[in-house]
Amino acid sequence: MSCLTDKFDRLRATYPPEMNSSLVLPLLHLMLREKGHLTESDAIFIADYLGVPAMQVKEALTWYTMLHRKPVGKHVIKVCRNIACSLMGAERIIDYLKQKLGIEAGETTPDGRFTLLLVECLASCGTAPAMQVSDTYHENLDEARIDHILKELS
Amino acid sequence: MIELKIDNRTVEANEGETVLQAALRHGIEIPHFCYHPCLSIAGNCRICLVKVTGRPKLMPSCNLAVTPGMEIETDSDDVIAARQAVMQFITLNHPGECGICDKAGECRLQDYHVRYGEPESISLEPKNKKPKFYDISPRILLDSERCILCSRCVRFTKEVSGSHQLGIVERGNHSRLERLESQPMDDPYSDNIIGLCPVGALLSRDFLYQSRVWYLEPIRSVCTGCSRCCSVKVWRRNRHWHLRSLGEEMNRKVYRVTPQENREINGPWICNKGFDLHKFMGRKRLLQPMIGGSVATVDEALSEAKKLLAAAKSPAALVSAHASNEELAAFKETLGSRMTVYSREDYKAEEGEVVEDNILIRENKNPNSHGVHAMFGDLPWSVDSGHDLVLVWGDNVDYTPMGNAKVIHLASFEMPQERHADVLIPISTTFERSGSFTNFEGKVNRFTKVFDKPGLVQQAGDVFGRLGA
Ligand code: SF4
Ligand code: SF4
Ligand code: SF4
Ligand code: FES
Ligand code: FES
Repeated sequence: MSCLTDKFDRLRATYPPEMNSSLVLPLLHLMLREKGHLTESDAIFIADYLGVPAMQVKEALTWYTMLHRKPVGKHVIKVCRNIACSLMGAERIIDYLKQKLGIEAGETTPDGRFTLLLVECLASCGTAPAMQVSDTYHENLDEARIDHILKELS
Repeated sequence: MIELKIDNRTVEANEGETVLQAALRHGIEIPHFCYHPCLSIAGNCRICLVKVTGRPKLMPSCNLAVTPGMEIETDSDDVIAARQAVMQFITLNHPGECGICDKAGECRLQDYHVRYGEPESISLEPKNKKPKFYDISPRILLDSERCILCSRCVRFTKEVSGSHQLGIVERGNHSRLERLESQPMDDPYSDNIIGLCPVGALLSRDFLYQSRVWYLEPIRSVCTGCSRCCSVKVWRRNRHWHLRSLGEEMNRKVYRVTPQENREINGPWICNKGFDLHKFMGRKRLLQPMIGGSVATVDEALSEAKKLLAAAKSPAALVSAHASNEELAAFKETLGSRMTVYSREDYKAEEGEVVEDNILIRENKNPNSHGVHAMFGDLPWSVDSGHDLVLVWGDNVDYTPMGNAKVIHLASFEMPQERHADVLIPISTTFERSGSFTNFEGKVNRFTKVFDKPGLVQQAGDVFGRLGA
């Protein structure tokens, strides 16, 4: 964990001292990027590092579904299932992805490449249906675009 | 002083008070779940909504500061309608199992449901399922389905006990109270959250399914666990519900111990040792007077003790820090001047026990050392003070250091001994007498008898009276 704490230290130096609680989320993100998913012991690690109660970090960790608590694949596909996307055919998109990847929502492909997640509004309603793959947005989806996107992903 | 009107009544409120606080102080009941006078304001349950003249929306009264000339309505039609809607929401996923819930009879949700709720749920959705027996600690279970997420318990661990061991995890419909998986709660004040919970979500394992609360009644007593002398309620079976045939021993059982609010001494809390007071008092008792290890009658034991006292050249007394002030006075009046008096502490901190903190727990694990010292000084006993008779008053005594001196022992609980006392007289426990202790700050706290003492057990004050006569 020592290289991780080096990164923690660098981030902490940019915050005013005594603002430890404000560092909870940035550190969770940093750690997520390193580890792929986070568990309670990671929350305790951050809490000990910051000197804040472990329960406080656990509350933050469990509040945000973006902070994965189960192992995920190399590419995390988050498909919007909220109202605008649903009106524009999100359900069809979701079914197509399930069938193409051979997994259900919430699952990861056996080769560890893709995880399929359903999420609420991605704030891209104007270009619905939308999905986010890791940090990239893909809009105005249809089957052909999905074929193309998946092919591009190594 | 700020004047405002609540339900057309002019009330005076203090600067900085909330509408809810002012109303409660004036005996106007506004329902509330999440508000608690000793915790920060969370404002999450919304049952305390009131109408404020001039404001378009109803406001939560627990988070509304009083202002001069404010006009509040707590039971107008729209307030009642809002309250019903909030009750619908709070009970949306509530299991409604009062019949098997320990809290029934002292549950805010149940009370408010009777007063403000509607008979039927208007929801068509199936109820949300959550863990029913979540293990908070070896002392406490959580029924997540009953929890209304008011966060009182969480705030208690943050603001009062400081252990930070509870939190609300997940979000929305999935929200649950949890602890760290790797750390069961070991907060020495944890049991306070059981009573603090406005519903039956947090359950005492010790009291689980033991009794319906309306069969019980609380008697005001004092915890003997340390020199704080917290006020407690000792719950025994209500006279009207005494069992007359099977299970008569239940009539003499303490079902639970809970805090008795006492602003001067312990506020609304006690520590877990106080919640276990009935276990401490329930240890194996001494019930039979003895002379040199053989059974004797009370009269025989007393006259033998009297004989020993008369024959002693240099008698000493070791006075119990569990004795009440009244018993100490009786001792002083009868025997005190005829012997050298030493003070003794019956109990010391046990391994693993919190020795002292800056909340309630005190280092001296006896209730009345202050009273003893005030009356007799604090001369410590030493083996070689050369006494030929020792009258030991109190529990947890080892006779070995008494050497060859004769021993007269007054005690309540059994303790294995290498040798026998010359005279042993069983005496009552704190639950079997009334009296008072003086805590470490010099504050006097009174306790009331919960049960009659068993037949051959004596009151220490009477024993001294007869020995001194
Ligand atoms: S928590 Fe209250 S309302 Fe709910 S089942 Fe228990 S007694 Fe009934
Ligand atoms: S367990 Fe009780 S006190 Fe804690 S949040 Fe739930 S309802 Fe409130
Ligand atoms: S602080 Fe002391 S007196 Fe109070 S409940 Fe705990 S042990 Fe009993
Ligand atoms: S509903 Fe899908 S992006 Fe807003
Ligand atoms: S008591 Fe006011 S919101 Fe809960």
